[in-house]
Amino acid sequence: MTTNGQVKTKYAFYPGCVSKGGCPELYEAVVQVAEKLGFELDDKALESAGCTGAGVLSKEVSDPINARTFAMAEAAGLEIMTICSTCQGIMTQAHHRLKDEEYRAMINRDFLAEEGLEYKGTTVIRHMLWAIVEDFGLDKLKSMVKRPLNGLPIAHFYGCYMKRPPELMVPKEFAKTRKTALEDVIEALGGKAVKTSGRGKCCGFPILTSNEDNSMAMLGDHTLDAKAKGVKAMVTPCPLCHLQLDGKQADAEAHKQEEIDMPVFHLPQLVGLALGFTPKEMNLQRHLVSTKSIEEELGIGVEVKA
Amino acid sequence: MEVKFAVKRYDPITNADKSTQTYTAEVDEGDMVLDALLQIRDEQDPTLAFRGSCRTGFCGDCTMTVNGKGAIACRTKVKKAWDGAEDGAIELEPLKMSRQMKDLVYNAREFHWNKFRAVEPWVDPVQPPEKGEHLVPGGHDKHLTESMRCTQCGLCDQGCTVLVVDKTFVGPAALTKAYRVVADERDSRKRQRLDKLSLPRGMWDCTHCFEASEHCPKYIEPTDRIFDLHDMAIKAEAGPPKVVHHYKSFAASVKAHGWLDEGRLAIETEGFTNVKGLMKLLPLAVKAGLKGKHPMPYMLHKKRPGHEQIKRIFEKWESKG
Ligand code: SF4
Repeated sequence: MTTNGQVKTKYAFYPGCVSKGGCPELYEAVVQVAEKLGFELDDKALESAGCTGAGVLSKEVSDPINARTFAMAEAAGLEIMTICSTCQGIMTQAHHRLKDEEYRAMINRDFLAEEGLEYKGTTVIRHMLWAIVEDFGLDKLKSMVKRPLNGLPIAHFYGCYMKRPPELMVPKEFAKTRKTALEDVIEALGGKAVKTSGRGKCCGFPILTSNEDNSMAMLGDHTLDAKAKGVKAMVTPCPLCHLQLDGKQADAEAHKQEEIDMPVFHLPQLVGLALGFTPKEMNLQRHLVSTKSIEEELGIGVEVKA
Repeated sequence: MEVKFAVKRYDPITNADKSTQTYTAEVDEGDMVLDALLQIRDEQDPTLAFRGSCRTGFCGDCTMTVNGKGAIACRTKVKKAWDGAEDGAIELEPLKMSRQMKDLVYNAREFHWNKFRAVEPWVDPVQPPEKGEHLVPGGHDKHLTESMRCTQCGLCDQGCTVLVVDKTFVGPAALTKAYRVVADERDSRKRQRLDKLSLPRGMWDCTHCFEASEHCPKYIEPTDRIFDLHDMAIKAEAGPPKVVHHYKSFAASVKAHGWLDEGRLAIETEGFTNVKGLMKLLPLAVKAGLKGKHPMPYMLHKKRPGHEQIKRIFEKWESKG
């Protein structure tokens, strides 16, 4: 579909719990950036979908809940777009199990039929990062950049679920686009993607409840390694990583007895800044670690509060 | 085909300094790294130490680090390693998680045998058996077939992100073994085992990052086995109270509202009566709140349309037992 020369792609939007809870700034950034890119986000198709289970709920109950979500997107004839690595990972794993016809038939019969739903196994689930690289295209993104990131050294932090299990998350047919999707976006925006040891690792968020010390050690290691490599900011496609990298950074500083001061962007915020949105529009003021240093590097004037 | 190997050497008796020695070997296209090492030891250097046994990927003995990544030497093609070599030689080191004892031999006892021992990896059936022996009806061990294939090679531990920051974590290899016995219907100590696995540095320190599964050469999916252990523990209400509260609150929230109530989760995880724990939440909650980042206040959480259907799915699952 083309509108004003732009490829318009419509998705069944699945924002996930966190973008509506702990990270409202993510939701708002996604909506604005998607509109600018010409993505049409249908927020009705999955309006009544449930939580993916986030790896906390047993698969025995989260698989039927996810099958229900897939069935709704299938009925609407749309691909699902997620904006959270964890949602994406858990859905992809459920999607994979539901390829088994016997299993799918059981879920349809025992859980979905009563509501008049049936999942036929065809739904595609794509994270916004992949949608940008695969559906929209990096060249087009590049051409829309109004405020290039000026070679700013930025660390890509994928989070666990965008990369693993690799045979599901980065299958052969997508190896070209997904292996370096985040690095490629950073570069398309004019930044310099810097490899750090934590880039594909766990941020530590899942064990905050059970072992905070280990969780802080992981967070501290990843952010300090980035700092040692001259990184000025990190970017992540996962709001749970953001809750940890940004939200708990002060605790990691206390744990490591060392200043970290590493601004962390949600993926669409970084894209948005480069496309010309203001820090206020991207709600950067909501971060716990200030992003002022980056705004200054990019020559963005200090915002006057409206 | 001529290839080079850069081997990280160490002799605890004669040479306290660790050094890298380069060997050049003429190998066949189909040779594995272990074949090449045996050849080097036979023809060039009888002092080169490494482990190896079955030569068919069955015993898990020849685990080492090849070009920076954990690998089973007898299942790693020299050609592939040579193609992936960065500095003009295939880099060979012992497994990184443990102490180097000599050349490519790492201290397996100190590292994974002690961890395996800690999970008491033997089935403990009720004695004496009812029918003269402990029978398992056909199909009742289907879920165990994967974990029974574990060779205890330790590669999942090598990939584990938690072990990097805390060597005392029990680790995915031993947890996969623990699953194998806890999920065996003959075992009589299931609850006791789940309690023990829930002690500090046990199974709840796993982040489910799927590194273990990625590193397992046998496709046993150790990460999924740890998920299974967690499921069993939550069902049995084993596990540290905070973790059980966290899981229960998460489920209750999704069951009631269709989605997660983060505010409620944080509060219920600490426990309503745990004043100290709740106070700990305050500074971050206030800081986040001031920045407009707060999750919706507890009790005001909106129900999602369709929440009755989610509740129905939960009830259906619960009724299945
Ligand atoms: S689970 Fe896989 S990687 Fe871990 S010890 Fe067993 S065979 Fe090796």
